[in-house]
Amino acid sequence: MTTKPQVKIVNCETGEEIVRDATAAEIAQIKVDADNAAKAKAEAEAKETAKSAILDRIGLTADELKTILG
Amino acid sequence: MATTTNYGWTTPDDTALVKDGASAIRTLGTSVDTTTKNLNPETTLGDIAYRSSTSNVNTRLGIGGTGTVLTVAGGVPTWATAGGGGLTLISTTTLTGASVTLSSIPQTYNHLQLIVQNWIPVNDNANLRFRFNADSTASRHVSNSMIGDVASSFGSTSAQFSAQQDNGTSQALIVGNVFNYTNTTTWKFYNVHAIGNNSTTTTEANYVTILQGAYNQTTAISSIELFANTGNLTSGTVLLYGVK
Repeated sequence: MTTKPQVKIVNCETGEEIVRDATAAEIAQIKVDADNAAKAKAEAEAKETAKSAILDRIGLTADELKTILG
Repeated sequence: MATTTNYGWTTPDDTALVKDGASAIRTLGTSVDTTTKNLNPETTLGDIAYRSSTSNVNTRLGIGGTGTVLTVAGGVPTWATAGGGGLTLISTTTLTGASVTLSSIPQTYNHLQLIVQNWIPVNDNANLRFRFNADSTASRHVSNSMIGDVASSFGSTSAQFSAQQDNGTSQALIVGNVFNYTNTTTWKFYNVHAIGNNSTTTTEANYVTILQGAYNQTTAISSIELFANTGNLTSGTVLLYGVK
C-alpha cells in the first residue's frame, strides 16, 4: 500500500492542528514543486559547468579569476 | 464623640454609658462598611480600583479587553489598545510531513515575524520554501539573494525561505519578516536571514544567507505554507509572531 504524503494544517485562531493525507491536488502540487526544484538545480549546475568550461578555455582557475576581479 | 484617626469613624467616648453600646457599635459598623465599600468598588473578576478625587473613595475600572494595556488619559488610568513595538506569539508549530500550513492568521497586527529553529529535512541540502495563501498559481512568487541588484521576475509558485540544510544535524535558524500583510492594495514582500548546517561538515554553515522575496497579489496574507523543496520535513519548530 502506498503511503500518501501527510500535511499539517494549524489554525492560528483556535490553535487546532490537523494532520491528514494530502489531497490529489496537493499531491500534484508537491510533484510540481519537486519538478521546479529539480529544474532549478539543473539550471544552477549547467551554469557552473558553463563557467568551468570558460575558465578552462582561458586557462584560469576559479580562485585566480576571483583574484583578478578583486 | 470620639473619632478614629484615619477614617474619622465615630466611637464611644471613654465616659459614654454602657447602655448606648449597641447603638455605638452599629454606628461604627456602618461607617466601617461604607468606607470599606468606597475603597473596594470592584464588582467583577479582573476589575481594579484607583483613587478618585475624593479622599477615601476609589473608582472602579472594569477589566480591559484582551490585548489592551493600562495607560493614562485625562489624569486617570484607562485601558487602551497596545502601542507599537510589541511582539505577540501567535503560534508554535512542529515541522513534519510534506508541508505545514499556518492558517487563519489573525489580521490584527502590522507585520508578521516567522522564526524557524533547528529544522531538518529528510533530504540533504534541501531548502525550506513557503507559499502565501495556498496560492500555487504560476508566476506569483519570487525570491532571490539580497546581495546586489537582482532583477525580480515573478516566476515561481513559491519562495525560498532558508539556506541549504543537513538532514541529520541542525543548529539552523531562520528569521523572516512579512511586512504590512493585511493591506489589500499592494503586493507583499518579505526578507529573511538564515543559517544552516553544511551537509558534509555539519560544524560549518552551508550558507549564511539573506534573502528577499515577494508575492504579486494585493490580497491580505491569511496563510503561510512551509515545505522543503525536495522531500519531507523531519522536524523543526516554527514560531509565528504578530508585530504591532
